[in-house]
Amino acid sequence: MNEQVKSDSSNLLEREVVDNPDFVTVGDIAVENPAMTCRDVNVYYADKQAIFDVSVDIGRNEVIAMIGPSGCGKSTFLRCLNRMNDTIEICRVTGDIALEGEDIYARSMDVVLLRARVGMVFQKPNPFPKSVYDNVAYGVRLHGLARNKSELDDIVEQSLKKAGLWNEVNDRLDKPGTGLSGGQQQRLCIARAIAISPELILMDEPCSALDPIATARIEDLIDELRQQYSIAIVTHSMQQAARVSQRTAYFHLGKLVEVGPTNDIFTKPIHGLTEGYITGRFG
Amino acid sequence: MTTIQGEGHIFTRFDDEMKQLHSTVVGMGVLAVKQLRDAVDTLRTEDTEKAHDVISNDTKLNQLDIDADEQITTIIAKRAPVAKDLRELIAVGKIVSELERAGDEARKIAGLTIRFYEGTSRPPNEEILRDIYTLADYVSGMLEKSMSVFDDLDLNGAVEVLNMGLKLDDQLQSILRHLSTFIMEDSRNVGNFVDIVLGIRALERFGGHAKNIAGHLVFIKFGFDVRHEGIDVIVKSIRES
Repeated sequence: MNEQVKSDSSNLLEREVVDNPDFVTVGDIAVENPAMTCRDVNVYYADKQAIFDVSVDIGRNEVIAMIGPSGCGKSTFLRCLNRMNDTIEICRVTGDIALEGEDIYARSMDVVLLRARVGMVFQKPNPFPKSVYDNVAYGVRLHGLARNKSELDDIVEQSLKKAGLWNEVNDRLDKPGTGLSGGQQQRLCIARAIAISPELILMDEPCSALDPIATARIEDLIDELRQQYSIAIVTHSMQQAARVSQRTAYFHLGKLVEVGPTNDIFTKPIHGLTEGYITGRFG
Repeated sequence: MTTIQGEGHIFTRFDDEMKQLHSTVVGMGVLAVKQLRDAVDTLRTEDTEKAHDVISNDTKLNQLDIDADEQITTIIAKRAPVAKDLRELIAVGKIVSELERAGDEARKIAGLTIRFYEGTSRPPNEEILRDIYTLADYVSGMLEKSMSVFDDLDLNGAVEVLNMGLKLDDQLQSILRHLSTFIMEDSRNVGNFVDIVLGIRALERFGGHAKNIAGHLVFIKFGFDVRHEGIDVIVKSIRES
């Protein structure tokens, strides 16, 4: 965070949140019939705590946007939701995170299966160095989701159609995925994620490397995907959060300060830090 | 609720643009009040020349209305405001319209001076006009109060204006009763009666604009729309916020 642009009043508000171990997130953290519930989630990198007692639900067929200044912990929190942080040796996660009521940190949880149920799209498009077809078919084969070639073809076609890419690539399915444009590559990654029928899709700044037109296509796609999937998206673009999400969560220095309907957050936020951040009074 | 009211944006030009808009609106408020006071003064002094000046000065308010709208459009296009900034811009767009219309009502009062003192018919006596003077003082005070709240967003002042609006209705009834006694006393007053009632109506609308502005200020501060709410609901909402 750029400390130089923060005034005394926002520093005071920040202290009220950061120094208060009993701070409670403002707004409704719970939703009816959630796809995922997170309660008292704490994340530590060795001795350093990065996330403090975050509790929030991710609703079914909703897009929840996670916003906040750099270093606020939104990406760290997102990565807890499909145990991506497991790959970081010094990272330790406590608290309860349940997908459809099932504890994702339980010993019995198969992490590979979990990541099929909770797909992820990253900041930079990362297609495999394989053909367009194989990029989408890879996870389907890995998880044995198609009984024969015709079923696999069907899944690949449907996934590319859902990702809005089919019309652009159906005549070059055997060409390398890495040869597509940046926006197409990102949609290919989304097609790859949805091919294995996830319940939840995590998106970590999916449009930050894309131009405005490609961004608009991804945003339209997110809105269409919401009909079938639950989506949690981390974004630095507040306008994007306002456009694509139904609920917004504001993180600040590892704490979830406020969560609520996106319309309310962007018109009448409750907490002063939320207001200060979204109106551009600090960042 | 804790707020960071008064804290500047990272983009300081955004603050400059908001301040510029704020100052345009304050200028409009000052001008609208002056227009009404000048208009009433022309009635008192029977100064038709000055009444014409008041009417032509209304174009200044019209121009400021257009200027303010342009500034709002530019800020929205450039800054994509949200939260309080967005509420303020939406409300200010409405406030400038209220001020422009308040100026139109002041112009109508100046029109009365011209009608009464440039024509050949018998002008009303001072006694009949006294209600207009009293009411004009009252409603210009309402607008001044609203504009002072616009400056500091102290909503106690807004509640005060809304309460003044309630009393204005009572005052209006009382004035109409009072006026009717003049007609009964001297039927030659009938000719001016309609003009006086229209003047009273213009002043009532002027006060109405001041009251509406107070409502818009509640929206800026708390984000709820009180345009169609009773005073009890408004006061309760403010206290609970």
